[in-house]
Amino acid sequence: MSSTPSYAVWAVIGACAVALWVASLTTAGRRVIVRPVVVLRRLATDPWLRVLLVLGWAWIGWHLFAR
Amino acid sequence: MTAATRQGLERPAARAVGIVVLAGYALWLAATTPFSSPANILTALAIVAVVVMTIIRWPARPTRVMIPEEDRPRHPYLGWVVLLALVVAWELVMYLVRGSRSAHPTLSSMADAFDRYNYGLKAVACFAWLWLGTAIVRAGTQTTSRAAGREAVPS
Repeated sequence: MSSTPSYAVWAVIGACAVALWVASLTTAGRRVIVRPVVVLRRLATDPWLRVLLVLGWAWIGWHLFAR
Repeated sequence: MTAATRQGLERPAARAVGIVVLAGYALWLAATTPFSSPANILTALAIVAVVVMTIIRWPARPTRVMIPEEDRPRHPYLGWVVLLALVVAWELVMYLVRGSRSAHPTLSSMADAFDRYNYGLKAVACFAWLWLGTAIVRAGTQTTSRAAGREAVPS
C-alpha cells in the first residue's frame, strides 16, 4: 500500500499548524486565535495543567532522543 | 548607571549566552545515539534542569493568567485544541491501522528517520526541544511581569 495518502494528511496537518501560527501573529488573526506563547502561559500558570505540561515536554524529549 | 539601565543591557547579553549554551548542548545531544548511555544522561540532565528551574522559579500557588476581556477572542484556544485533536487522532489511526510502519508513518517513526540520517535536522529538533523547556519555565514565572501583563492578566 502506498504511503502517499498518510504523508499527505501529515503535510496538511503541518500546513494547518503553520497557518494557525501565522494567523495568530496578524492583527486580524488575533481576533480569532491567540499566539502560542499565550497558550503556553495559560498552561504554565494552571496548578494542574502545568504539571502535565512539564511531564509532556520531558516525555517528548526522552522518546525522541533517549529511550 | 541605574539598575534599570544595567538590567536592559544585561538581558540581551544573557539571552545571547543562553542561546549559545542551548545550541552547544543541542549539537552535543544530537551527536549521541538513541538507546545509549550518553543519550540517556544528556536527555535526563536537561529534564532535571528544567524540573529544578520550575521548582525554584514557579510560585507554589500560581495565579492563572487570563486574557483581558477586551482583547479576548470568542474562543481563544479553539483553533489550537482542534489542531491537537487532529494530530492525536491521525497519530492513533496510523498507529492502530494494519500494515507496515513505512506505509503508515507515526510522528515517532518520522522523527526516527531524520534522527538516523540527518545530524543537522536532529540538532535543530534538540534545540527546539531545549528552547521549549526554557519557554515553559519562563511562561510559569512571568505572571507578574510587564511581558505577561501586555497580553494577559491574572484571574
